[in-house]
Amino acid sequence: MISVWFFVLLGLVAPALAAEQDGLAWLTKMANASRRLNYSGTFVYQHGDRIETSRIVHFVNPAGGEFEKLETLDGPAREVIRTNDQVSCYLPDAKIVIVEKRSAHRFPALFPEPLVGVADNYTVVAAGRDRVAGYDCQVVELEPKDRLRYGHQFCAEARSGLPLRARTFSENKRPLESFAFTEVQLGGRFSRDQVRSRYAAKSRNWKVDHSALVLSDVPADTGWTLTRQPAGFKKLTELKRSIAGRSNVVSHIVYSDGLAAISVFIEPLPKTRLARSLSHQGAVNIYVRPVADHMVTVLGETPAATVMQIANSLEFRSGRGR
Amino acid sequence: MDRISECMDGELKKHETRVLVERIKQDTELRHCWDTFHLIGDVMRGEPALSEEFERRVAERLAHEPTILAPRTPTVRRFATYALSAAASLSAITLVWWMAFFNNPLVPQPEIAQVPIIPSPIAAVPPSEQLASVPSDGTMNEYLIAHQEFSPSSEIQGLAPYIRGVSSLQSPKGR
Repeated sequence: MISVWFFVLLGLVAPALAAEQDGLAWLTKMANASRRLNYSGTFVYQHGDRIETSRIVHFVNPAGGEFEKLETLDGPAREVIRTNDQVSCYLPDAKIVIVEKRSAHRFPALFPEPLVGVADNYTVVAAGRDRVAGYDCQVVELEPKDRLRYGHQFCAEARSGLPLRARTFSENKRPLESFAFTEVQLGGRFSRDQVRSRYAAKSRNWKVDHSALVLSDVPADTGWTLTRQPAGFKKLTELKRSIAGRSNVVSHIVYSDGLAAISVFIEPLPKTRLARSLSHQGAVNIYVRPVADHMVTVLGETPAATVMQIANSLEFRSGRGR
Repeated sequence: MDRISECMDGELKKHETRVLVERIKQDTELRHCWDTFHLIGDVMRGEPALSEEFERRVAERLAHEPTILAPRTPTVRRFATYALSAAASLSAITLVWWMAFFNNPLVPQPEIAQVPIIPSPIAAVPPSEQLASVPSDGTMNEYLIAHQEFSPSSEIQGLAPYIRGVSSLQSPKGR
């Protein structure tokens, strides 16, 4: 009798477990595909009532070098180029290049460790098939387990695992932001030229804003801490860096729940009066507030309440590392 | 009788009055005397006389009144009542003062009313829910780009999320 119930129970639980394992496996597959696959295509970024179309090319050379280029197709021309551990944003209108350089060891053990926390904070389910940009794709849903984070849905190309669509949903399950390929070409041989900026020559006379020139390779102790760290969020890194267009050294602390990240930037108060402000860019909420004689900017792809909880519970712990 | 007269004029001492009242209660003649004296006093002061039956009827009604067993009213409540009425008076005074000064075109407006209120940068944080979120105007782009590098979403989606940092209709300001 017991064994009968055992199998009945197993029959009920097993598919759910399998779906979860499946979902997590698909997440890993997506991350691998994004980094290792050659692909090019056109994608649409939708947020609020706005739609922007961009072209993206990703290329991995035989030595394992990663090259990626994103260029906007409508509105003012903008380009983002990744060359291994360096990301450059070309803004021809302003004649500016923002260079974001990572420290030698890219993101201390970012992958696949961050995805470990995902299962604690989201119910991950492989949920049926769909079709995006002419390809069959696997739907992977991430239902948040509380209101501190947003819901996500991915659609990964069935064979390679390349994410063809990514959607973010608010606490009330309303769509906030969506990335979707309308046309994509998988595989193929790429040339270096395809991932080079079209402004490579012109931009020699532009202003170059070096950002993120990490002052030390070892993560710095900024002296700041949280009194109320949101559940499920862990500190990923803490460093001192520069930010494009800012002359001061900025303390940067990153928290993540495995999928979403929240950045805290702390710098001296600007001379102009600073008022609290809350803004958003797609699914990213940005909150700025003064804390003692510092300006604190907290942003992340989480609900505003989570971003504000972090900003409001930030405290200077010691005189060290200021 | 003299004692009754003295008592009515308030000339007796406390204990003497108590003794006299006890005697009146027991002595009918004395009680008649007490009643007559009061009647004389009422007539002399011009107060209307009560009907002859008045005394008996009151006694009767009292006898029929149900006995109410109620706990003694706590004094705190009385205090609360005083406090409330005091507060009411204060707010009334404030209201009158406010109306007199701020609704009266003849009274010059206090200087402080014309100074814009400048919130201190370290002012107490009001309830956060009051703050409405506005679309980013591009001034946060550098932070968005810096943040993107550390977000696991970049691992899954590659460069695509960087569009947030170069998005926005307005070009980044101040450069």
